[in-house]
Amino acid sequence: MFIGQDITRVDALDKVLGKAAFAHDLTKNNMLFACVVRSSRPHAVLKRIDVSAARALEGVVKIISHEDIPGENLFGAIKKDQPFLAAGRVRYKGEAILIVVAATEETARRASELVRIEYEDLENISDPFLSIQSPVLIHDGGNLLSHRKVIKGDAAKAFESSDVIVENTYSTTWIDHAYMETEAGLGYLDDRGRMVVASSTQNIHYKMKEISRLLAIPPEEVRVIQATTGGGFGGKLDVTVEGYLALAVWHTKRPVFMRYTREESLLAQTKRHPLYIVYKTGARKDGSLTAVEVNIVGDTGPYNSYGETVCLRAAVHATGPYEVPNVLVNSRMFYTNNPVAGAMRGFGVPQLALAHESQLDEIAGLIGMDPLDIRMKNALKRGSLTATSQVLNHSAGLLETLKAIEPAWRERRKERPGSGFGLGCMYYGIGNTGISNPSSCYLTLTPEGRVEMHSGVCDIGQGSDTVLLQILCDALGMEEMGIDLVRGDTDTSYDAGSTSASRQTYISGMAVCDAAQKLKKYLKEQGYYDGKPLKDICRDAADKGVPIFEGYFDPPTTAPDPETSQGAPYATYAFATHMTEVDVDEVTGVCKAVKVHAAHDVGRAINVSNVKGQIYGGVAMGIGLALMEEFIPGKSESFDNYYLPTSMDMPEVEAMIVEDREPTGPFGAKGVGEPALIPQAAAVVNAIYDATGIRMRQLPCDIERLKLALEKDKENKR
Amino acid sequence: MKTIRFLLNGKEASIEVEDNETLLCALRERLGITSVKEGCGIGECGTCTVLVDDEPHYSCLTLASKANGRDIKTVEYLSSSGVLHPLQEAFIRSGAVQCGYCTPAMLLSAYSLLLRNANPDAHDIKEAISGNLCRCTGYIQIEEAIKNAAEICKCNGQD
Amino acid sequence: MLPKFASVTARTKDEALSWLSSLENPKIIAGGTDLMVKMRAGKHYSHIIDVAGIPEFLGVTEKDGRMSIGPAMTHARLSTEASIVRNARSLALACGLVGSPQIRNMGTIGGNLGNASPAADSIPPLLIHDAVLTLESRDARRKVPLEEAIVAPYVTSIDVKELIDSIEISPLRGYREGYRRVAKRATWAISRLGVAFAIREENGRFLDARLAIGSCTPMPFRAKKVEDLLKGAPKNEATISEAIRMALEEIKLISGIRPSYAYKLPVLQGILEEVLRG
Repeated sequence: MFIGQDITRVDALDKVLGKAAFAHDLTKNNMLFACVVRSSRPHAVLKRIDVSAARALEGVVKIISHEDIPGENLFGAIKKDQPFLAAGRVRYKGEAILIVVAATEETARRASELVRIEYEDLENISDPFLSIQSPVLIHDGGNLLSHRKVIKGDAAKAFESSDVIVENTYSTTWIDHAYMETEAGLGYLDDRGRMVVASSTQNIHYKMKEISRLLAIPPEEVRVIQATTGGGFGGKLDVTVEGYLALAVWHTKRPVFMRYTREESLLAQTKRHPLYIVYKTGARKDGSLTAVEVNIVGDTGPYNSYGETVCLRAAVHATGPYEVPNVLVNSRMFYTNNPVAGAMRGFGVPQLALAHESQLDEIAGLIGMDPLDIRMKNALKRGSLTATSQVLNHSAGLLETLKAIEPAWRERRKERPGSGFGLGCMYYGIGNTGISNPSSCYLTLTPEGRVEMHSGVCDIGQGSDTVLLQILCDALGMEEMGIDLVRGDTDTSYDAGSTSASRQTYISGMAVCDAAQKLKKYLKEQGYYDGKPLKDICRDAADKGVPIFEGYFDPPTTAPDPETSQGAPYATYAFATHMTEVDVDEVTGVCKAVKVHAAHDVGRAINVSNVKGQIYGGVAMGIGLALMEEFIPGKSESFDNYYLPTSMDMPEVEAMIVEDREPTGPFGAKGVGEPALIPQAAAVVNAIYDATGIRMRQLPCDIERLKLALEKDKENKR
Repeated sequence: MKTIRFLLNGKEASIEVEDNETLLCALRERLGITSVKEGCGIGECGTCTVLVDDEPHYSCLTLASKANGRDIKTVEYLSSSGVLHPLQEAFIRSGAVQCGYCTPAMLLSAYSLLLRNANPDAHDIKEAISGNLCRCTGYIQIEEAIKNAAEICKCNGQD
Repeated sequence: MLPKFASVTARTKDEALSWLSSLENPKIIAGGTDLMVKMRAGKHYSHIIDVAGIPEFLGVTEKDGRMSIGPAMTHARLSTEASIVRNARSLALACGLVGSPQIRNMGTIGGNLGNASPAADSIPPLLIHDAVLTLESRDARRKVPLEEAIVAPYVTSIDVKELIDSIEISPLRGYREGYRRVAKRATWAISRLGVAFAIREENGRFLDARLAIGSCTPMPFRAKKVEDLLKGAPKNEATISEAIRMALEEIKLISGIRPSYAYKLPVLQGILEEVLRG
């Protein structure tokens, strides 16, 4: 039995030995280096590009522009609206214009500095609230990317009969993924002349398709390999270096390496969406929520990336994990010439959690109810209707997570003048919202007598490789982990979908179970469970022609109603409660996170150590989001002023695992990757209120904002 | 170009380097030691950490010429005897490794700590890795691993 | 990628001075934690002279009631050096807060002074210890009080052909001494405010109160007017309030009203209250 065990990760050994080959470490003989020439203007027509000085530099091999693209210039995860290389117009500072390919990295970068670009500035639309009124269109279709609504019941009427109503505005800003390994990759032509791109990535089949469109060659002529990837968090879902590498290889016929500097990654890569949230909550005296009306405005930058997804997810999750009979949500994403906002751990839900958790605490305060009690009263549970009127038939463990932290909550004592305790709850739909997002895999038997799993799943550090092996071993009833893993290569795997939306354990895990059922049937027929050695079975199979056992799973969902988003957008939801203790120094505005109890309903913990690792990492990211991370375009240029939490910023964390088994999941498992982060910043902000009496509605609640709020509060009290 | 001679993971090494070359570059490009990473290039992430005379330094901010005559250690040193160091085993067992990009640097900072302090408390451990960023783990399992390794090293009487 | 330059490693002070005098567009490197970042951003020097290993630039000695600190002493060494911990506690604390462990292992006090950041943590403690720099070139030697050596943010009056030979400070014994600083995360962050203090009290009076503030004005400054007020004054709320009022006034006099003062001045007030009350 491997499920529930702390099986050591299959990739850990190479990593502690320093042997793991990350994209930054890839190298090939005869390799060239590429770098990108980027726009220094936020919105401009490219009047003239002079590459003569750059081209004249010794060692420069090729300079590539959009005119050198054999196929399609436009790419995008949802909508193909972003140019690989700008064609006459740039829409954000840092947008890619040219690729310089040279003998050394130094030459490539020096050459890129010698390119002379003449810009004719267009109006820089930097405010999402002004974007819709501007006569300047960032795209022909207008400056509204997406508008999604959730409509359930009659919120306006319900407010009229509410005993208490609370309305506030919340805002968050851009956040950088800040993975330790920046974007990088190596492209080359193999012996058959096929295009191969190895990169730091969260998906491989998607990138294969984009490269195929870019070069106008069939997908079978493209091979994408996932190098050991140093973190993703949503930032490596979009095409990053892969397209540039493919073009560079295409034109030079030589291997080409590319890596982003940290400054480049901060400048040019996608960010978390800034969201402006106007949130109105109605409740009865007894604490039951009556209605929620939410207005969300998001700054999506000039290209879609995952803007539509965040727009919808934010809308669907806006109520928080509570039964609210009347819901009206308007979620809008506007184009601007600010940084491109895209997928980042939580897809808009961490931002909404700040709002819905603060709202709930404020309501509780007005009616004199304990924050835990009001959450227990309204918590979604089995049989509840969500905001989209989906009935939660199973696996809805929010109450269990609340009960898990209850003893700590009831026993909380303020040890110091600045002590405060706060709660944050969340729920998160696993998998993509209301659309098909299947995973496929296959198993074979090797002549050496091993089961071989072929997985297209990109493990980005969260441990999916190990978890899928555990699932397979248990599904087959094997006593030893006698399975060889072949992974991360489009040549040897089926499309498992992206590592995002906390979906791999659940969806790819079920695909593995599906394949396992077929293999198990075969093994049974061959006598494995009666004692025939696997080695003999494999040898026989090799003689007759090795069978392949395919697995597939697509979570059953319904597309959300286009007007009201009603429907069943996810097959399962994760639930969690975080309780955070802070210590606020009112003299300096420093808020220290002291201790976190984090209870997560994960359905089933396939690997307890992995689940805890996600929870600890999610708490860290939540501390960053709450207290110190803020990407300021033009100012946040490197890590010397974009601050991530260090070991000294971390609180003590008690990770509590709740298992409300998901019947449609592998051995009952759901997901935890994004849930781990989602409620933490909200809990910190509620704790700050408990400590100081001040509601901080803008993130980050850094030392200056907090101190200024404390001073203002003192002024008001005088 | 100048020749620098130094101890690299316990063995004598001699290479030619440019005057303006960083130790990070020399290790990765000339000696093929890719376990030392570049994460930011300005000494703000820690992934380039190496030990210079058993003290953690940022190799991205160290001129290669500064290695001359010094004792330089990278993560390969920990298992140079052919067996995993207790720190490496503890990292594996405690779930301290996720994406792995910060791992070699973390191990070196931890190793240096244990050389100085065989009995580190929780604060000592936190401080020892406070110059190494990790975006994946939240540090907790890394700190547990270091604590466990310290106890094992004490029992074994090894460094 | 660093610009092209030639580098030499000096084994003695004389070697360093000779090179400094004869080489074109030279720059001293000690730990390199500031200089390497600047060069990576494009700052160009033709010759880099490494002085980190010069034995004469290491060590802390005491003579004639003054202590002499070698400029190549790293922050890590200074934070644990017994004589500094005992006689200049604020300096030991400040050095222990610079950057991260790696930065402290590499960066030197001489380098910190040469960089002259308004937020340099070592400067306020040195100011309250009456720090005097001995600057040496091949042909000359002079002593400059630290506050005169720093003329503007990131600018010193140290000539391009001079280097710091030693930093002399007065030991302070019998003082309640410390260094407080505020930053946006727990460690490895630029100080938004730094306060070095050393206070001697007896029988309800301040005998000697030394105060230097960093990250508030273009250069870290020693609040001499405040010190004069406190000297001999009774330790009570009236004195403390007046001292604080004076400190804030002096800051506004030096810099005018900066946007960051909406945050910094109330914080400074709170810190000074805690520091003076003890």
